[in-house]
Parts: sequence; C-alpha cells; structure tokens
Amino acid sequence: MSAPPPRAPGQESAPGPPPPPAAARVRQFRLPESLGPVTVLVLVLLPLLLMPLAAVFVFAFRGGPEAFVAALATRESQFAMRFSVLIAFATAILNAALGTFAAYVLSKFRFPGRGALNTVVNLPIAIPTVVVGTSLLLLWGPIGLLGSALEPYGLQPMFAPVGVLLAHLFVTFPYMLGSVKPLLDELEITYEEAAATIGASRWQTFWHVTLPALRGSIFTGALLTFAHSLGEFGATVLVSGNLRLRTQTAPLYIFAQFEAGNLAGANAVAAVLATLSFVIFFLLLNLSRRAEKPS
Amino acid sequence: MSILIEQVTKRFGAQLVLDRVSLGVAPGELFVLLGASGSGKSTMLRVVAGLTMPDRGRISLADRDVTTLAPQERGTGFVFQNYSVFRHMTVGQNIEFGLKLRNVSGSERARRRDELLDLVGLPGLASREAVRLSGGQQQRVAIARALAYEPKVLLLDEPFGALDVKIRTQLRRSLRAIHDRLRITTLLVTHDQEEAFELADRVGLMDRGRLIEIGRAEELYARPRSLFAATFLGSGTVLTGHHERGEARFQGLEFKLPHGEGREEGANAHLLIRPEDLLVSAAPPPAGQPALGTGAVIDQSFAGAMRRVRIRLPIHAEVHQASSPPSGPEGLTVDALLPSGDVLPAHDVWVTLRRWHFLEPPAASLLVADLGRGPTAPLEVARDLARGLDAQVTVLGVAADARESDQLGHRIARRQRRSGLSAGELRMRFGAPAIQILNEQAELLSQMIVLGPRAGRFAWFRGPRAVPPRRIGKTIVTLLEQSRVPVLVVIGPWHELLHLAVVTIGDAGAAGLLRAAARLARPLGMAVTLIEVEAAASSVLDGTRAPRPAAQDPLESAGVGIRSRQRIAARNLDEMCSGVLEVTADLIAVPVIRHGPQEINEVAPLVTEILSVADRPVLIVPTQR
Repeated sequence: MSAPPPRAPGQESAPGPPPPPAAARVRQFRLPESLGPVTVLVLVLLPLLLMPLAAVFVFAFRGGPEAFVAALATRESQFAMRFSVLIAFATAILNAALGTFAAYVLSKFRFPGRGALNTVVNLPIAIPTVVVGTSLLLLWGPIGLLGSALEPYGLQPMFAPVGVLLAHLFVTFPYMLGSVKPLLDELEITYEEAAATIGASRWQTFWHVTLPALRGSIFTGALLTFAHSLGEFGATVLVSGNLRLRTQTAPLYIFAQFEAGNLAGANAVAAVLATLSFVIFFLLLNLSRRAEKPS
Repeated sequence: MSILIEQVTKRFGAQLVLDRVSLGVAPGELFVLLGASGSGKSTMLRVVAGLTMPDRGRISLADRDVTTLAPQERGTGFVFQNYSVFRHMTVGQNIEFGLKLRNVSGSERARRRDELLDLVGLPGLASREAVRLSGGQQQRVAIARALAYEPKVLLLDEPFGALDVKIRTQLRRSLRAIHDRLRITTLLVTHDQEEAFELADRVGLMDRGRLIEIGRAEELYARPRSLFAATFLGSGTVLTGHHERGEARFQGLEFKLPHGEGREEGANAHLLIRPEDLLVSAAPPPAGQPALGTGAVIDQSFAGAMRRVRIRLPIHAEVHQASSPPSGPEGLTVDALLPSGDVLPAHDVWVTLRRWHFLEPPAASLLVADLGRGPTAPLEVARDLARGLDAQVTVLGVAADARESDQLGHRIARRQRRSGLSAGELRMRFGAPAIQILNEQAELLSQMIVLGPRAGRFAWFRGPRAVPPRRIGKTIVTLLEQSRVPVLVVIGPWHELLHLAVVTIGDAGAAGLLRAAARLARPLGMAVTLIEVEAAASSVLDGTRAPRPAAQDPLESAGVGIRSRQRIAARNLDEMCSGVLEVTADLIAVPVIRHGPQEINEVAPLVTEILSVADRPVLIVPTQR
C-alpha cells in the first residue's frame, strides 16, 4: 500500500572504491609507526614508576626468603599489618553505609543548602591529609573543642584506634560518594515510581529496587576506600601518635623502621602492602571492565 | 465509575498544566487520553496514580476518594514508556514483586506468574534476566508486573512510544486482547491517533491542560463538536460563516445550509468539510446540490486505493486558520479523495458538498489582558460581561521573560481577587504583548479581547504627546489591525454597561457590526443607540460610497430594541468625533473592516480618533465589507 522507500541519490551510479591492485596487497616489512613514542614512554616510566615498584620487591627479598619471613614475623610488623587491614575493613564498611546514605539524600531530595552540602562532602579530596590530622586533633584532642569536654569522662579518641578510624573515614568519604552518586543520579525516577505504584514503601523501594541497582558501585567504592585507607599516612601519623602495638598502621611502621635503619623490616611490609594494593587494583579494573560491557 | 476525575487543576510554577479536567471512566472501559506533547495528558495519568499531587480537584477510584492517598495505597498498575523493568531481577521476580510485598505464598505467586506470562505472550521466560529481553518483551513484562496484584485500574503512559512500528502494532493488539480477557478498567495516554483509534472504547482529546472533547473514535472524527477535535484528528477545511434565520451563510459562497435547532441568531457557524465529503467532477452537479464552485487541481498524491487531490477555488471564503490544507489570499484550497482510476481535467473542476458537519459553537469566553498595574477597570468590566454573557474568563499576563513571569503572575492574581474576578483562569506568556494576546485568543478561541488602553509593557514610558493625549499604544494598534474577534478597550473607570452606542461608518461592515452588537446587547439587556455616520461624510475619510442598507435589520431580528437613531454628517473628524461622544452611552461600538482571510484590518481614521479622545469603553468589531 505505501510508496517504496526513497532511494539515496546516486546509490546505484556512484562507483565504489576501486579494488586495490594485487601488488599493494603484498605485505611490506616496515617498522610500526608506534615504535618511537612507545619507546619514549617506557623510558620515561621506567625510572618514574616501574623501577621503584620493582625495587620494593628486590630489596624485600635481598636477604633471602628466610629473612623476609623473619622480618614479617616480628610482633610489631604483625600488629601493624593486622591493624591496618582491620582499620581499612572498618572504614570501608562504615563508609559504604554512610556514603550510600549521603548519596541517596543528596540525589533524591531537594532542600535548601543542597548545593553547599554537595560541595562540602567532596572537600576532603582537596584538603591535605596532614591538615585533616591537625584539624581532628584540634577538635578531638585533649585540649580540643570536643576533646576537652570528653576528657573528664575518661574518653580520649585521639592517639587511639578510634582516632585512626575517624581520620580514615574523613579522608576516604568522597570516594564512596563519588562512586555511588553518579549512578543514583542517572537511575531514572520511574523505577522508584513503578515500585511505588506496585505498593512498595519508600524503604522497601530502596531495599529491593534502588540498592540492588547500586550493588556494583557500592562494592567499587568500598574497594577504593579500602585501598586508600590501607595506604593513608598523613592524617594517621598525627592522630595516632604512632604508638607501637597500639595505633601503628603498616605505613607508619614502614616509616618508623626506615627511620630506625631497619631497611629489611620496612621493605618486607612494604612488599606485602604493595601486593595487597595490586590485588585490589586488578579487582577494580576487572569490575569496571565488566560494568562497561553493554547489558 | 471506576475512575472519576473531578475538576482537577495543576500548576507547575506559573504554567497551568491541568485546567479543571473532569472525566469518568466506566468499569471495564479502555479509555485513551490523546493529545500533543505538553497537553497535560501524562500529568493527568500521574495524578490518577498519585505520583503527582493536584492543586485542586478530586480523584476517585472504584468510588473511593483517593485524592490524598499515596501511590502505594491506590491499587493502580502503572506502565511507563521506558518499561522500568527492575534490572537486577529475573522476569519472574519482576512479576512477583507486588505479590511478595503483599506476602502471597510462594506457590500462589508461581501460579499467578505463569498465568500472567501466558497472558502477555512470554511463556516459560520466568527465569530469564529481565534486561536481556528486547524492548517489546520488557514492556510485556512491565504489563504483567502491573497486573500481578490485580489492581483496580491499569494506567499506561505512552507504553509503545519507545518501540519500533512493527513491535508497536503487535503489542497494541496484545494489549487489546489482554483487555478483552480481563476487562480491567484501563486509562492509556498517547500522542498517536492511530493507536488511540485502534485501542480505545472512548477517546478524550487534551489540549493545553484542558480535556476538550470525549467520544468514540468514529464520532470524534465524523461528528466533532469542537474546532480542536475537527482539526486535530484528520484533515479538513473549516469554513466560518454565520447563522441567519435558521440557515448558515458563508461569505463568497452562494449556498445556504440548513442546520439544527438552537443556533443563536448572528452567531458564528463553523462548517467542517472532510476530504471524503467532497464530490469532484468534470461536469457541473445537478441543481440544488451545494457546490463550492469550480477550481483548478494544484496537486495530487497517491494514497493507496484513493487519490488525494488538492483543488484551489477562486473564492474568498472565510476559512479558519487551523484548516488543512491552509487557504491563502489566492483563494480557497480544499483536499478531496477520489478513486485512483478516476481521471480529472486540470482546470474547471466542479467541487460539490456531499456531506457536511456543523461544529458546536464554542462556549462563550473572554480573554482579558492585564498589565499587573494601573486601573483595574478592564478586570471589572470583564467580570460583568462574563456574568451577563455566561462566559468563561481567562486572564492573560504577558511578561518579558520567565523570571518576571512569576512576579507578574502574583500581582495579577492579587488584582483579580480585588476585582472579584478570582474565577478567571490566569495564564502567562512571554514576548511581545500584541502577538501573545493574539496567539492566546487563537488557541482558546476566545470571542472577545478585553484590555486597558495601555496594554503594552513599554507604553508606560510614552510621554504626553497631543492634547487630548493619544492613549492608544502600539499593542492596541496591532490588535486593531490583526484581531479577528472584537477588542474591548476599557477607557476610564468602571461603571455599569447600560447603554450601547453603535457607530456605523457608511455601509462598510454594518451588518457584521450590528450582529456583534446584538449578541452583546441582548443578553446584557443594553439599550442601543444607532449612530450612522453619513456615507457622504465618511467618504471624505475612507472613500466608501455605496447605498445604505437596512442597517438595523440584524438588531431587530435578534429582538433588540433600538432606543434611538442618529445621523451625523459633519465636515471633519473632530466634529464627527464629538458628535459621537455626545450620545449617552456606556460603551461605543465601532467597526474595522477585514478584507481577505489573511489581510490586516482597515482601521478608519474616525476609529483611531474616537479611541484617542473617548472617555468610556470602546468596542472595536472586525467585520467584513
């Protein structure tokens, strides 16, 4: 019944590209064009990234595997590594909840001061970690605003594990938010509206519809938080007081051992920390590749 | 009623999205809301579901008032254009979601799930990941999900809008079949006429927040009541004429058509001619058939079994601007359908009416343009007119931009309350006042424009010029030249409208002016004084010279008594003008002459002069010579 679709003008008459002559198809050997730039890049990266990374492992195993194991077996290094992992875990879990909540509130509600709050929660990225440590000390320390009020009750968050946790939560807060909020902003309102018309309350909607959609990005955010917490130094060194067997994290232990001249001890823990970071990094890489794949 | 919508109004800022919408959908009915984007149809659906709260009005579902209930408590099934199938769930989990929330047992859930999957044509796909399905299949899942917990009504918002044509047709048939099986009350929103016609038991047409007309598809197409329905659905030409002694007459056309009872004398007649209503032939039609005349074929196009022929007739009939095809100054253009095999000459083709349909006269409505400052007399006069004419009032504020709009809106609303005109719907527009007023009039089909002498935004800055001051600004001049409906310029303070003075200038447009005057004077009970400016004198002004007709005729046939009759024959404008103003009258009606369908009105110098020096309201009536 309907008219035939219009043909593109010149579709039939225009000649296609002529077939390549047979001679051109013979493969000629030529240096790939990329050879030059790639060589330069590798040469630059070698002293900048690759060699230092290798150096950690080289130095860690210089005294043989026995020395490496011995260096890791000391009570102090054991404590530092366990404490670091524990703090990183706690930070990741607490921030997963806190960051997701913050992202949900900032994304789903319209209220005065929303823009300002949005900026404030991302501020920790821009503040030097040492400044974070200082400000926490000024607030919670024995002579700080809140710290001095807590003092009479025998509560002292600074120079204690709680202080380290506080510092890590502060420093890593934006990573969780940055991972979850964009997804939440893009998630169309109709999903929640669909759930609402079906009969789901706000909480049920969040639990059954919104949260599952965020699963991937919450996990990514938690991993990022974990990795950052594991390597955090600036704020930790101030708020922890660097007390061995009490608040000393792995990075602090490495620093302390270097200062004391125990290179083997420092390198062994550094190698473990580096390995752990590699694992997390490849996990994240894998995750983001999977997320990019079209569904 | 399964769904009862009563007087629902909704604004987003100054924008009126839903304007007193009332609608009842019977149990088991499939009702389609049809309208262009931005007509408010989706908002209406969301209000029914509880996803949007109305400012005013009531929503009842199955005879229960749900206006204040949350969407969760309404028991509606909603299907979105973007499917919104939950991504992390399987097809089965999606469908069972509503049942799970209601704590239905696992086996019952599975039974219901499989039943629904069969119903929507996806048997055995329960364990599939929902996002792995195609768009059409996802929408089927969404429909099953919305039906799972047996909602009282099913609401669908452009459900097939994101699908390609073939899938859309399939899904449309499936939906109709599902509805025939379940007989669930369904409200569907679409912009697609074909979809509406195929699916609907009844169609509701929406335009700019108003529900214009409701009816079965065939009724709306063949016998629309409103101009909007006539021009929105299908194509056709709408001729404008007037009713006179039980017949409709059209300018430029010989024939008169009988029409039904209850038409007001002198009122506008809108005649709808669809392409299939026209008989096209090389030979003249038998006598007695209403013929438009002969014309030339200017275009033809193949349309399957039929051929669409476009014919231009050298007739200056008055054609409504929403007609399709549009007519230009070259003459009347109409489309006709005829069998593809028929052969026609290119010229001298006879066009005859085989069928025709009169549109209902639109409800009386007034458009008041308000500045948000200055005297409130225009609002007060509009209030009185609305009461007397039983007309609806729309108040229009024209702002420079969106930012100014809210502020101006508040000011005008305050003035409306002060003038007792709160019932008037307030609308806002941005841009040049005259153009916006004319656009609003054309869209609302208002029958009169009411405004103060300085309706332009910048008129305020005009200094005093001559003595007496010339009060008419650019806006009024543009309105006088371009308006197709009477313009009432309210000069001076408010007082009661008891006496009407009708000024005819020669015979030019006298009949149209008197018809308009009669339609105003009769319901308002005004006493009329007829002032005839002598043809001899007026010829000095606009060159008209013609025998004077029986000018009082339309007034008398409408049953309006003429209190007195005066004749003015003065040498110059000043004398003439003061002669007119000496007459006791609260309102002076003067004509401006319209020529072709597109041309601007010819404003006689006397009209400009009267407007400049008058101390009371002046009604300017565009009429044809």
